[in-house]
Amino acid sequence: MILANVLSNESEVKEAIKKIFFEVFPNLSEADFSWNKEQKNYARWDSFAQLNLITFTESKFNITLSLEESINIKSANDLFESVRSHLQ
Amino acid sequence: MNVMSFLKDSVEKFPTKAAIIDEERSLTFNELYQEVLKFSSHLGSVDKNVVSLIAENSISFIISYLGIINSGRTAHLIPPEISQTNMLIQLRSANSGMIVCSSVTKNNLLKYAAIKIPSFEFNEVLSRPIQQTTNLKSNDLAYLLYTSGTTSEPKGVAITHTMTEFTTNNIFQVLGYTSSDVDVLPLPLYHSFGLGCFHTSLRVGSTLVLLKNANNLERILESIKMHHATTLAVIPATLTKLLQFEKDTLADYLSKIRLIITNSTAIPKNTVQKFKEILKNGNLATYYGLTEASRSTFMIFDKTNGREGSVGKPAPNVKIKIVNEHNDSKEGEIWIKGNNVITNYWNNSQADKNLVDGWLRTNDIGYFDDENYLFLIGRNDDIINIGGEKITPYEIEEVVKQIPGIEDVAAFGIEHEIFGQTIKLNIVKSKNSDLDKSTILSYCIKNLEKFKIPTKIDFVESIPKTDYGKVKRFMLK
Repeated sequence: MILANVLSNESEVKEAIKKIFFEVFPNLSEADFSWNKEQKNYARWDSFAQLNLITFTESKFNITLSLEESINIKSANDLFESVRSHLQ
Repeated sequence: MNVMSFLKDSVEKFPTKAAIIDEERSLTFNELYQEVLKFSSHLGSVDKNVVSLIAENSISFIISYLGIINSGRTAHLIPPEISQTNMLIQLRSANSGMIVCSSVTKNNLLKYAAIKIPSFEFNEVLSRPIQQTTNLKSNDLAYLLYTSGTTSEPKGVAITHTMTEFTTNNIFQVLGYTSSDVDVLPLPLYHSFGLGCFHTSLRVGSTLVLLKNANNLERILESIKMHHATTLAVIPATLTKLLQFEKDTLADYLSKIRLIITNSTAIPKNTVQKFKEILKNGNLATYYGLTEASRSTFMIFDKTNGREGSVGKPAPNVKIKIVNEHNDSKEGEIWIKGNNVITNYWNNSQADKNLVDGWLRTNDIGYFDDENYLFLIGRNDDIINIGGEKITPYEIEEVVKQIPGIEDVAAFGIEHEIFGQTIKLNIVKSKNSDLDKSTILSYCIKNLEKFKIPTKIDFVESIPKTDYGKVKRFMLK
């Protein structure tokens, strides 16, 4: 929970999630990223990339996302909301 | 021929030459022969054909082993560090009539009341009455080992004298052992790898420098230098540890070495490459084999052969085929046939199903390249199937091992609701390492395909392994 406290600031959480997106999608440019851009608009966001996003997020924030939560993440913003609900 | 005739031949050719040097004493071939005859004659009446030998590497082990064989019995070799439960299972399964052991082992055994088999220290055997020994036949069983069990409970594997002769001849012919060699052996004699090395030294009449274990790297290097050794046998993990020494220092210690033989546990490619540079006058070599099909291939990593990932070509008169039931790729299960292959397991009809018309189904997956070099991919049981993508743990481990701060790693499949399986890593961190999981994942995403990225990482104290250094993956799942 120490990490959670450090990252309790919303902008820090967002920054960490954005960093995860750029790690999982290394060819993603700053211009291509937006919080509401949906999975279907990412060329490489397939089921394995989804798995990677969840794994990186769980590791970074020391949380566990349920299967239902994982399936419902369709955008960076969805992931942010999901993380935020765990850190509250 | 049998291992006793190996010894007799060497006695005739080199009676006064050092046969065995252990950490306390040495024996010439003639002295060894006389000691074996004496031990054998004192074994006396044993109402069963199997005698269990439990001891660390020593000259006493060798005298006892050869003495048991010379008496016409089968030597059942048990690792001294075995658990009491497993020892009891082995003793019952082997139907052992007697235990020969070191004093340390005997003290431990005597505390265990469930063992009713008479046990004797080496010296106590010599106080038993002398009895006539029987003549050996080639079909007789020489020794009995229980497999190290990377995927299941150990199975008894009994090796005949004929198989031993066949395998030993292949070893010395392919790897060029001669009576001029001095062989440093820090591997346990109660396993096929170490025992095969000992048989080879005995066969060619070279001098064997026997060390108790491979953990003392300084002792290995000092022994090489002191005895002007020309060959060394170690597992891949020891090779990798040796690389912690300065390259020039290591090259100096190994300057007289013409051969380092290791076994087929995955050898990191950069370890092979580094030893190619370090060995100025020799080669690193490996082999592929199982206790039940010893030394089925050989691979010499000479300077001109770039196949660092191969275990080589089939040994002389050993057939290997790749069986792919779906016929959809050149990869498949490795089947082996030859005089090095057992005809049946020890009282184990279930395991005998792996023997089909003389072929041993190894459960290992591999393929041949265009020039008949065999490459191992993994074990059938180890393959991780992630949503239809089949992955071997070794390729994951090889990448993860490159991360600074990681001492050891094991990858294996865990159940996943959507993908069927995903990858989990158990990682042993180096001392004082502050490595975290996010750093590991970041490295993986840069160096592995996305379906190979682990979904779980645990930091652990150790990875369960066999004495050969193979990961016991069934204990991780």
